[in-house]
Amino acid sequence: MAAGAGWASMFPDEVWEHVFSFLAADGDRNAVSIVCRGWYSIERRSRRRIFVGNCYAVAPAAAIHRFPNVRVVSIKGKPHFADFNLVPSDWGGRADAWVTAMAEGWPHLEELSLKRMVVTDDCLEFIARSFKNIRVLALSFCEGVSTAGLAAIAANCRNLRELDLRETGVEENCVHWLSHFPESFTSLVNLSIASIEEDVNISVLEHLVSRCTNLMTLKLNYAVPLDRLVNLLRRAPQLASLGTGKFTAEYRPELFSKLESAFAICKSMKSLSGICEAVPEYLPAIYPVCDGLTSLNLSYALVDGPALIKLVSRCKNVQRLWVMDVIEDDGLAAVASSCKLLQELRVFPCDPYGADPVSLTEHGLVTVSAGCPMLQSVLYFCRQMTNAALIAVARNSPNLTCFRLCIIEPRTPDYVTLEPLDAGFSAIVESCKDLRRLSVSGLLTDNVFRSIGAAANHLEMLSVAFAGDSDAGLHYILSGCKSLRKLEIRDCPFGDKALLANAAKLETMRSLWMSSCSVSLGACRLLARKMPWLNVEVMDERRGGSWASQPDDCPVEKLYVYRTVAGPRSDTPPCVWTVQGAIG
Amino acid sequence: MSESEMAIIKPEAMKSYVWLQCTDGSIQQVEEEVAMFCPMICREILQTGMGSSKNYAISLPERVNPPILSLILDYCRFHQVPGRSNKERKTFDEKFIRIDTKRLCELTSAADSLQLKPLVDLTSRALARMIEGKTPEEIRETFHLPDDLTEEEKLEPLKNTNDDLRIRLLNRLYAKKRKELKERQKQKDVEVEEPQKDERSVDEILSFINGDGDSKSAKAAKNKKKNRRKKDQPKDPSRIESEKSHKKDALTLSMGRSEPGGSNSPSPSRAEDAFPTRVDFEDGDIDDELDPAMKEELDREVEDFARRLNSDWPERMQEILSLSQERRAVPNLMNGNGSLQRYTEFDICHLVE
Repeated sequence: MAAGAGWASMFPDEVWEHVFSFLAADGDRNAVSIVCRGWYSIERRSRRRIFVGNCYAVAPAAAIHRFPNVRVVSIKGKPHFADFNLVPSDWGGRADAWVTAMAEGWPHLEELSLKRMVVTDDCLEFIARSFKNIRVLALSFCEGVSTAGLAAIAANCRNLRELDLRETGVEENCVHWLSHFPESFTSLVNLSIASIEEDVNISVLEHLVSRCTNLMTLKLNYAVPLDRLVNLLRRAPQLASLGTGKFTAEYRPELFSKLESAFAICKSMKSLSGICEAVPEYLPAIYPVCDGLTSLNLSYALVDGPALIKLVSRCKNVQRLWVMDVIEDDGLAAVASSCKLLQELRVFPCDPYGADPVSLTEHGLVTVSAGCPMLQSVLYFCRQMTNAALIAVARNSPNLTCFRLCIIEPRTPDYVTLEPLDAGFSAIVESCKDLRRLSVSGLLTDNVFRSIGAAANHLEMLSVAFAGDSDAGLHYILSGCKSLRKLEIRDCPFGDKALLANAAKLETMRSLWMSSCSVSLGACRLLARKMPWLNVEVMDERRGGSWASQPDDCPVEKLYVYRTVAGPRSDTPPCVWTVQGAIG
Repeated sequence: MSESEMAIIKPEAMKSYVWLQCTDGSIQQVEEEVAMFCPMICREILQTGMGSSKNYAISLPERVNPPILSLILDYCRFHQVPGRSNKERKTFDEKFIRIDTKRLCELTSAADSLQLKPLVDLTSRALARMIEGKTPEEIRETFHLPDDLTEEEKLEPLKNTNDDLRIRLLNRLYAKKRKELKERQKQKDVEVEEPQKDERSVDEILSFINGDGDSKSAKAAKNKKKNRRKKDQPKDPSRIESEKSHKKDALTLSMGRSEPGGSNSPSPSRAEDAFPTRVDFEDGDIDDELDPAMKEELDREVEDFARRLNSDWPERMQEILSLSQERRAVPNLMNGNGSLQRYTEFDICHLVE
């Protein structure tokens, strides 16, 4: 076998295709696709799954042409800061263009996941009609949907296995949408409708749950009361993942014991969420499943500390725990001593702007990091922090992959030393070598960004707010952080120079968001001119149109820069302008 | 013979064998139950009755050569024994595939042609593991694959992910041009492309190509050859600024600094030479701000750059870029490993990450 001929000819394409089928990571498939002409071709034909991190990075037709046999698609639209109402509501991210193209090019699509996109009822109807084989429809953080669209899905998608509406706002429009699932329809495995505010017809739901014997995940909305939950559980004891509706009712012993028995027959339950407005008297009904739980979301359970402590202490196998700060430091100490397998902790503020002090401090975080050796992911809202605490966390938890600290009041210093929190966050990035996601807060100077730029080699996403002193801060980030993909910044004194000095870096990233910083229109023009593979979008909701005539020193309130091969998009609303590269 | 005597006769004598022939003519004799483990051979035996003697040996597909056949038969011999535990089989498999890449590929090929699915899966997984985490270049080396996509494949993988791709592109054109110009101008101290990145500014290259003796400003030479000189030299703002301009995106802030035609040889600067080093994070000695002189320089650079843009620079840029487009050269993207990836309008997969 001649070495020059390559070994690719040693066996037929189908065998290489079989080899590639064992490559799970997109990155590996991407590498394979540009090894040589032969592999490019094989990989392209056999690619079944693609992930589009930014719906505007590539034209739908181009993606379809490149990968003609895709069955599983995942697309993201709006930037993350849309969750905090920083992105204009009409910014874009409509799913129509993609859905229309996919209906034509990938009619055999089986799974569609959309995140932060605008999905209308028409779009859902179109999906229902166009994709006969669709099995999974997941809409997370989307908007524009009403129950009429859901009715169309229910009526037409005969093979549907998963309908997941996580955090997607759903308007009321068709009260009986659940009834549109035909009698013969029994294939549901996942029904997650927690974000639907309106009532559902619970009898219809019960009947649906009864006939879908493979149902594994059921996440109910608030409207489902406790007594109806009992019936549902009895019909689906095989559930692995349950999201309850409201977990509150007047205390009645017979309801309690029915509820407890209903939980007791759920031997497979691994994940529990919902528990909205929990009443302490009913929490013990959950105890039968606690030991088996790997995921527990109590972020809607406004129950005081002691009741929470009793509950979490029983959850010895929990790996993911979301709670509110009412758990306080004591509660976190209980977590640290009981939940040794904990990997992910999220602590949300129950009353972010309230004056009432809650006894959740930096000590809680340190205790958990000390007691839970497998801790990898943290999201922690609190009101005070010290460098010493962060240094301790860095030392205790070197395996952190995600660290998001949100000190509620901007620019809060170390409350003991009154120094900036630079040392603390520097310790985090230097110790946690696999850190992929970081959100910083508190009082921070440019120095912390020097550490981050230098040490955070695997960091992919960085969120910065109210931090830094000058362009140097942004420059450190962009000139370092080898693996950076997404950078989102608000209210920082970062401006033109750092941006322009690192223009090439932006092409190696998915996107950059900057709002309320010190960027000028002139710099954006320069950037757009130099970097034709970037879309440079400037936004200002106060002014519509007439961007082109503004002077160079016009400040840019919101800037979103992303790499794309699709060129400027054609659907920008009046308050958004894609800065053109041409002069004038 | 009595029945009891018959029972004592060694089992081997009662065994049946099949004969298999490779395309090179060589014939192997194999116990029947071992060969039957292979669906293709099994079918041949049952449907055509072939294989029962040397003269009627079963012809094996071309992709099965004698040494690989022996390997496959070892595999079959082990696995066809019914009593083995899963653990035993797994241990055997793990050892079995510890062979060099070439043989592994041959084995995969042969297993596929014999339709021996468990072995195909085993070898395919092993090959996939050899691909995981590798860059395209590494994969090519591992499997001796041709490098036939485009010219850009031949760019050296670079460690600094912040490199400006266009600089490299232009450098390649520049290298060609330089050869020509070398004849004419006898430039001896212009450096040939080194494996390290050449972070010379685009403007310098342009001014050189266009024979501009007079660059924008005759600043001090950047001696980027070795770090040793750097420490000796006074840290004057102009030098810092000129070093800085050669880091990363020289396109943005570069002005024609050096005099290529003169005595100073431009050489690749290192990222470490530039801006961040002066602010090494040392205990108790933290610089809180940019050197004010540097700040000033940054301001001036931005201004200058803007002014230059309003000159004929864009057209020159177009010219250079269109030359490169003829070679279907397009910007490269770094993946997370810090190695190069190419993207073109059809290489969407990298953009969709």
